[in-house]
Amino acid sequence: MPAGGRAPAARALRLGVAGPVGVGKSSLIATVCRALGAELRIGVITNDIYTDEDARFLRSAGVLEPERIRAVETGACPHTAIRDDVTANLLATEDLERDFDPLDLVIIESGGDNLTATFSPALVDAQIFVLDVAGGGDVARKGGPGIGRADLLVVNKTDLAPHVGVDVAQMVSDASAARENRAVVALSRSDDASVAQLRAWVLGVLDSFRAGAHVAQDPGPMAPHFHADEDGGYVHSHDDDGRAHDHAHTH
Amino acid sequence: MTTPHALSVAMLLADARLPSGGHAHSASLEPALLGGMPTASVPAWLVGRATTVSLVEAGTAVVTARLLAEVSDGGFGLADVVRAWAARTTAPALRDAARLLGRGYLRLARTLWSDAAAVRALVAHDAAHGPLPRAIVLGAIAAATGLPAADTVRLTVYDDAQTAASALLKLEPLDPVTPAHWVLEACAAAEQHVLRVAACTTPEDIPASGSPQTEGWAQAHALLSQRLFRA
Repeated sequence: MPAGGRAPAARALRLGVAGPVGVGKSSLIATVCRALGAELRIGVITNDIYTDEDARFLRSAGVLEPERIRAVETGACPHTAIRDDVTANLLATEDLERDFDPLDLVIIESGGDNLTATFSPALVDAQIFVLDVAGGGDVARKGGPGIGRADLLVVNKTDLAPHVGVDVAQMVSDASAARENRAVVALSRSDDASVAQLRAWVLGVLDSFRAGAHVAQDPGPMAPHFHADEDGGYVHSHDDDGRAHDHAHTH
Repeated sequence: MTTPHALSVAMLLADARLPSGGHAHSASLEPALLGGMPTASVPAWLVGRATTVSLVEAGTAVVTARLLAEVSDGGFGLADVVRAWAARTTAPALRDAARLLGRGYLRLARTLWSDAAAVRALVAHDAAHGPLPRAIVLGAIAAATGLPAADTVRLTVYDDAQTAASALLKLEPLDPVTPAHWVLEACAAAEQHVLRVAACTTPEDIPASGSPQTEGWAQAHALLSQRLFRA
């Protein structure tokens, strides 16, 4: 559970957006802001790798007041900043929540990293993992913690599919299989129906969070795996509601 | 209840993996390189820091620890120590960065040593007057854990040099073993100052060994739109 001083439902929902570089994370955040900016009070934290370009892109998109968008440096370690040491992002989030109190939603954009980078539940309440069709139709099938177990997987830029020879329906089907039917949205910012799906998902999570029903899930850096021991072993799923668990056993 | 040895606490604090936000900082190295300092000067620059600005930080931590452990009775308070530190850290960018690191440290400290009077005093001061710099928070941790003053000085010097050395590998192509050697050289250079700084008891005792060029680079760096590190 993110540290914050207040009960979870009394503060903004903290939503992480992760995924490889160039899949459209900033654009997705702009889309969410456009779709929900009129009804929700939103703030955004960006984790650029070596510039504040994402923050500037979002400010220039005119979807939020520029002061509500803040950039955090990550020392060339975007994965560390969202998982191993979330201090800088937590401090920035708390500042944003204090300066614009009350906020409904704080979106934290990862700096863009490889397929194993996911947010710690110590930082976010829920997370979206983003892929795009241009990155290859087979990426969703390969799975990984974000693809498999983020609260939502977005397959972005579906409008490009005909140009890059990707079958969107197949990619979504592969993703759904890798995710054991957790939520998937095939998104194009120019396809209103897909934007409405994304919007509905965010509102659904927010409702659940406010009702105290939402439990932050840890996708984990590791896939579920088998541990052999004297009693025959057990499956370590990393799916235990984000509770701390013993990692002292031998892998 | 058993407690860890002060040396174990020092090792925890010196470990770059400690989740307190330090990985986004370069201990002024990125500002220096972007300001035109050649990579070849880094070893000398590290020695320079270890014997100047690091001693300001270390002295601040030592005086804070004495104050909070109630062994100091010099008629001064925490605000006086903060003022003395700020007067010796003239660049606003460096003070901002130190306060950001202090918040990260205090977030950690208030969890790890939640019952310690020294840490509670800082949490209360932070709530009333705003963020405290890292050196002050380190002093409170030293008071809470019994970290000896001389080791507090050595920890401060090491942490600064190692932070810069780690950042260097992300900024310049080098054999990763090379800067480790430079870290030890910097620590060795500071050793002759350790006992003097460890003996500080009042704000006036804190070394006033500034580094104007570092301050200037820090101010320029804070205005850049392209940087890997906060400061």
